Amino acid sequence: MTRLSLEHVSFWYPATDTPALADVSLEVAGGEVVALVGAVGAGASTLLLVAADLAPRVVGGRLEGAVDFRGRGNGEGGRGIVLPTPWTQVSGMAFTVWDEVAFGPANLGWPREQITRHVDRALARLDIAALRAREPATLSGGELQRVIIAGILAMDPALVLFDEPTAELDPAGARMLWRLVRSLAAEGKAVIVATNDLDALPDVADRVVWLEQGRAKKIGPPALLAEDALCAAGLGTAVAVVWRAGGLPRPYPLTVDDAVRLWRHR
Amino acid sequence: MTRLHPFTLLALAAALVALAWLLPAPWGAAGTLAVAAVLALFSGAGLTPGASPGSTGTGMSPGWRPGLVVLRTAVVTAAPFWLFLFILHDVPTTVALGLRITTMVASVVWLVAVLAPARLVEAMVAAGWRAGTAYLFAATLSAVPVLKARAQRIVEAQRCRGLSPRGGLGPRVRALRALALPLILSALHEVDERALALESRGLVPGARRTPLAPPPDRGAERAVRWALVALCVAALVWRLA
Amino acid sequence: MSVRLLVLVPVAAAISLALSAVVDAVALPLFLDTTGTILATALAGPGVGIATGVVTSAVNTLRNPTFWPFVVVQIIVALYAWAAARAGLFRSFRTAIPAGLGLGVIASVTSTPISYLVFGCTTTGGIALTTALGRALGLSPLGACFFGSFVSDFGDKAVTFALVTSVLHALPRRTAARFPWALRAMGAA
Repeated sequence: MTRLSLEHVSFWYPATDTPALADVSLEVAGGEVVALVGAVGAGASTLLLVAADLAPRVVGGRLEGAVDFRGRGNGEGGRGIVLPTPWTQVSGMAFTVWDEVAFGPANLGWPREQITRHVDRALARLDIAALRAREPATLSGGELQRVIIAGILAMDPALVLFDEPTAELDPAGARMLWRLVRSLAAEGKAVIVATNDLDALPDVADRVVWLEQGRAKKIGPPALLAEDALCAAGLGTAVAVVWRAGGLPRPYPLTVDDAVRLWRHR
Repeated sequence: MTRLHPFTLLALAAALVALAWLLPAPWGAAGTLAVAAVLALFSGAGLTPGASPGSTGTGMSPGWRPGLVVLRTAVVTAAPFWLFLFILHDVPTTVALGLRITTMVASVVWLVAVLAPARLVEAMVAAGWRAGTAYLFAATLSAVPVLKARAQRIVEAQRCRGLSPRGGLGPRVRALRALALPLILSALHEVDERALALESRGLVPGARRTPLAPPPDRGAERAVRWALVALCVAALVWRLA
Repeated sequence: MSVRLLVLVPVAAAISLALSAVVDAVALPLFLDTTGTILATALAGPGVGIATGVVTSAVNTLRNPTFWPFVVVQIIVALYAWAAARAGLFRSFRTAIPAGLGLGVIASVTSTPISYLVFGCTTTGGIALTTALGRALGLSPLGACFFGSFVSDFGDKAVTFALVTSVLHALPRRTAARFPWALRAMGAA
């Protein structure tokens, strides 16, 4: 069973005295979607890098605490991360979308038939099969983001990490992505997503982690996003923030449906 | 010609250039130039009209037009050298060096026309080269147009703010700094993200990649490559003797 | 070579190749085609610098086939830049510009035989014309060729060293600290 465990993890980037993560403890199991919310610099991206085993291994710096990751029970399934800027994630070695998506599986040394199967499936899941022969350099930001996500999924990771995955997507693309996130969890993958798209989280996330200055200030169900403290910090859903700004009483509604229900019962 | 193994194409181009310098001028260089010109003329064979080697088009229409374009590019690129050689040197030296330089230019222009970067990368991986080595060349090819476009945008933005090529040396050097610094810093800032993305997608030191579409390497082509190497070595030995 | 340094090589090579648009915009008689090589060396050492120089030459050759013989010059530039980085000469313009002038001399000395023997001193219009000027002044063919290379390299390498110094000092310390040689090159370690 896939499981990621962070125990009292602190992390410092090179040549910095202030920790980017401070004493964070978190467990994420397969089948779960955990959302990280916080202001810029809160540590969400850093937490994803630590979870992906890229910090400090690739970025340098110092890590304290314990990070433990177990893939699927059969020993398969690594970790894949989708970063916010798609143009920096292009491999540079692929001249078609199909090759770009196949880049990761090819690096894993998989047999060609297995690569083809996974790549075709990933292209279909992201609805980009029609782009397979296009050059990545000719794609729009949204199309490229889908290609990058497909490239990560084609590697069949057990833990999938998303850093602002909807930043380059239009509303339809964002809705497709959130449906994808739920379907990944339904397959048994563990998913952690850092996002400012707070309104999507009630339907997507099983748990929400509120990060502030590198600390996990609060961990709980998506209903957190309607709590007064998060709304005051600008981290509530739009409905909750507007309800609060209007001086209406608690509890604040999390979604539009909640707001309609609360309003009718006033 | 685009169906030849990439290493064969590289060997052909390299051998032509080497032989142009090793064989005595002007006849040796003229001979290699003639071969390069013939290769350039036939570089369109195997391409669909309008296709480039980098595309997946594999039609068999033997258009002469691509070949003529390649030949014209080679001639236009080499022409300034002939002019400068004529200014600086006597006629025999001009002819000798001119033929050699034109062979070099024609060989490389032909190579660029017929060698698809994707096929070269696959050939390197299939031949057992480390993925990192293949990455160096391919990634630079991909990065150059992106950075050039970014440089152009920076220049245009600064022009809107009054940047002008007129003025003394000092202002222009300061303007150079104002243009170059954002370009370089933004590129360096992306190094971390690119490294993270590549690591996450399995490009680690020592990794052995599965070749996705390895170009077939026929025995005859391998024999041709070795023969070209032997020919160059023989020419070198003969030249030194 | 770590993946991070592997990524630096094509980025640095592309910097060298993309700066031509900037040079054209300010109408200065410069090349700046060793900027990436010097920068990569100052950040990450001679191995990365040499790799950058070789890749720059290889990709540049696709655009202009006469660049390949000068790959030797790129390697010499990387080695010189490494010596400068070890000595912390990128710590200020006062040390970097003289170091760049020194590289201009070395680069001219290295490129002259290549330019003379392979291309008859016709690698660029500028070099050809300054070579003709040298001949008119009574210099020998090789001397005139050196004169042509020197005129183009001397200022170019000084400006390149100054530019790399600017870049190193403009890097956030947190970013610079992640490159193995950056702080030492700036004299900060």
